[in-house]
Amino acid sequence: MVKLEGFPVEVTLRDGRSVVLRPMTAADGGRLLEFFRALPEEDRQFLKEDVTRQEVVERFVRELDYERVFPLLAEHGGTIVGDATLHRTKYGWSTHVAAIRMVVARPFQRSGLGTALARHLVRHAVNVGVDKMIAEVVDNQIGARRAFAKLGFYEEAVLKGQVKDRQGIRRDLVIMANDVSHLWEAMEALVADYSPTVGE
Amino acid sequence: MSKTEIRVGGLGGQGVILSAQIIGKAASIYDDKEATLIQSFGPEARGSACSAQVTIDTETIGYPYVKNPDVLVVMSPDAYAQFIPTLKPGGWLLYEEDLITLDERVPQGVKAFGIPATRFAEELGRRLVLNIVMVGFFAGVTGLVSYEAITNAVKTSVPKGTEDLNLRALARGYEYGCELARNSSS
Repeated sequence: MVKLEGFPVEVTLRDGRSVVLRPMTAADGGRLLEFFRALPEEDRQFLKEDVTRQEVVERFVRELDYERVFPLLAEHGGTIVGDATLHRTKYGWSTHVAAIRMVVARPFQRSGLGTALARHLVRHAVNVGVDKMIAEVVDNQIGARRAFAKLGFYEEAVLKGQVKDRQGIRRDLVIMANDVSHLWEAMEALVADYSPTVGE
Repeated sequence: MSKTEIRVGGLGGQGVILSAQIIGKAASIYDDKEATLIQSFGPEARGSACSAQVTIDTETIGYPYVKNPDVLVVMSPDAYAQFIPTLKPGGWLLYEEDLITLDERVPQGVKAFGIPATRFAEELGRRLVLNIVMVGFFAGVTGLVSYEAITNAVKTSVPKGTEDLNLRALARGYEYGCELARNSSS
């Protein structure tokens, strides 16, 4: 099981409200479903699954495995107001890469909650050995793009017309990436046990 | 505390020198003792033998070289083979138990403590932090440096952004070391 040092953590948002960030547990199923069902349809349309269906959320709970999907919830007054997940693969040529997905309740958008969730998820990712993170954002999700950019993400690829919004308008999907392997290159140099100028 | 001589040995790339630096830094800067460090590198960086000698004392250290250590920390079979005959009888042997098998060369009365440090580091997410696991283990078993001092020494020695994982590695080794030390004394 992944160690969860650093959680729960209380974060004060730009408007003074405070939220608690903590990993999802098996007891969160009901409240998570409420959170997803309260999202406006236009916020749900870019999610990869129909999270308003009870069986989908029950599956999330049943298959809870922090080493595969690490879900970080934002809670305010006992209500879930944000959900960010870190998705990793245990097998194959991209085990060093993780994908971040995030959704925030409307009343908490533009309050800094998305940035806080992403920051703590990035920190967790570095801690568990991830070298590179990617996030998919639609071209008109300006706030999300800005939040990821603040954390060192950059636009690595654009998939033209990859998604369709509710009006049927095709939009570009931007793949934002954050390669944190340089942090560990510095550590690798430190443990190299070699100096060209020092010897016995 | 009287003078304590420590040798850390392993392969290049295991972070032998950094771990010795951190032990010395913890003792001298954060525990307010005296410490010296001598480091030896092999002819190549990765995979060659390397070792470091650390001396810790409450008084000024006049001679920094370690011939017969009180504590031997080894992370590779070669380092074990090379340095085990030099360990003082009754001294402490701290070793990477998945890589090293003890044999009859261990001097009499030596208190030996093994840790699967490489495996722990891999479980934590990075094999690179094996040396920090070992440093924590050293502090937990021997008590020669305080946990607060070794924590500060790690924080100020590792690259920015890697502190969290390194501190988790330290805690993992420390807790394991404390447990073994408790079990051996009971």
